[in-house]
Amino acid sequence: MSFKAIPLRLLLPFGLLLAATQGAHAAPPAGRLLAAQCAQCHGTSGNGPGFDEVAGKSASELRKDLLEMKRRPVEGIMDRQARGYTDAQIKLIADYLAAHTSGSTN
Amino acid sequence: MHTFNRRRFLQAAGIASAAAALPRALGAATPARVVVVGGGFGGATVAKYLRLWGGGQVAVTLVEPNADHIACILSNLVLTGALSMDRISLGYNALKTNHGVAVIQARVTAINYGSGTGKGRVSLSNGRSLDYDHLVLSPGIDFIAPPDDPGAWDANVTPHAWQAGAQTLLLKKQLASMRDHDTFLMTVPKSPYRCPPGPYERACVVADYLKRKRLLFARVVVLDANAGIQAEPVAFGEAFNHIYKGMIEYIPDATVSSVISQTRSIITSAGSWSNVRVLNYIPNQRAAAIGPASSANRGWPLLNAQGFVPVDPLTYGVSGYPNIHVIGDACAVPATDGQAVPKSGHMANAEAKVCADAILRALNGQAPDTNIATSSACFSPITATTASWLSANFSYGNIYDAAGKVKGKGMQRVDLGEAPKISGDNYQDMFTWADGLFADSFI
Repeated sequence: MSFKAIPLRLLLPFGLLLAATQGAHAAPPAGRLLAAQCAQCHGTSGNGPGFDEVAGKSASELRKDLLEMKRRPVEGIMDRQARGYTDAQIKLIADYLAAHTSGSTN
Repeated sequence: MHTFNRRRFLQAAGIASAAAALPRALGAATPARVVVVGGGFGGATVAKYLRLWGGGQVAVTLVEPNADHIACILSNLVLTGALSMDRISLGYNALKTNHGVAVIQARVTAINYGSGTGKGRVSLSNGRSLDYDHLVLSPGIDFIAPPDDPGAWDANVTPHAWQAGAQTLLLKKQLASMRDHDTFLMTVPKSPYRCPPGPYERACVVADYLKRKRLLFARVVVLDANAGIQAEPVAFGEAFNHIYKGMIEYIPDATVSSVISQTRSIITSAGSWSNVRVLNYIPNQRAAAIGPASSANRGWPLLNAQGFVPVDPLTYGVSGYPNIHVIGDACAVPATDGQAVPKSGHMANAEAKVCADAILRALNGQAPDTNIATSSACFSPITATTASWLSANFSYGNIYDAAGKVKGKGMQRVDLGEAPKISGDNYQDMFTWADGLFADSFI
């Protein structure tokens, strides 16, 4: 069979392969968009300018801090902001920041 | 020759976007063109984050008439002389150098929305035009003249200073001219308006300024078009009733009918004042025009009754107009009745990120993320050394009408609060917060 005669429907799987190897991009990493809400105050990469550095911390430390702020009586603005997220969202944010940012002191 | 329909190919392959967007050809080598109109907190942030997350997949052009952005944030401190204008002047060099955003200093004169194809063209005041694959409009607000004798109002005589820069300097000069027995009369616009705590914050810093200048019997009159204080009612209540007792007169439910700038006079439903020393009339607001004043909806594809553009909360897209997005003060996000998403620089930055992510997903044939949260936070000076703060968080989900029934999907306010106390620590934190926001948006 000559190349010209291959019907389009048979080329579809080839098209998908092209997509997977050439132009397509994976979905954005989980937690990136949620964690981006922290950047207004903590810096685009989590190490300022702004308030306490959130870069370079472990996921469990970040998660523990956020959950504690969410539960304790409100004193500072972070106590309120932490209340803006579900526990599941907090886990995604903590995991993302830990995996994608590094502390400026490292 | 077999005719090839790209859209049908994508749909057959099961990877067409669920969003109202037309994805570009897979394997395309040329970057998608995104044009961003407006270089404030919304426009700068969306331009930056598109490039930060999208890299070479997107070519971003920012169109802005001013050479730099003068932030409204902290501008009340420029009014009183506490800060210089330089402190709030934000340039575009970092967006160019760090993120490869092309910046054109020009005004948009017209937009051809491309008749539903999702590809359109923006015409500029410098004679150029820009074709786009996605368009983000973040032009901010316009002011609505008073209903009676609108021609008698002139912002160059009685400034609003609700856009920073020349207006700030004019109001600063007028404030500095105040003497004993003088009145600073200001208005609070009808909600929704830019920066809910802003007007009350201004009343406080002006009262503090008059106090520190030891002007005898100088006072501030606040005419509020709304029924009550729109943000941080406890902090501003304490300020008006205690800290500035006798200096600030607060009058709610004052609807402005006319302003005669030349005589610094104002007529409202709660009374009339004439020849006040400083008349800081802050008009009601609507989305800034993006087309000629004579065009339908002043260039917008659609507007709601209040003059803002209704948007999809997951993409900031405009219904019926593929690949058009509106963020920042100009947009109206679906929300629960009485719990509107505030108009602020911090919120514009938050929305810009959701928008950037949605555009990149659309370019890759992916559905928008539904696990969406946006936040607003701000600090307001109350005296020369103390401040309060406001925090609000929104999450995508069911939104409700005034009777508590589900009215659809949108951004539900999941938290709102103000500082438990006005403090000096908050005043210091205010600068940390502002510098953080400036950098995340412009650097």
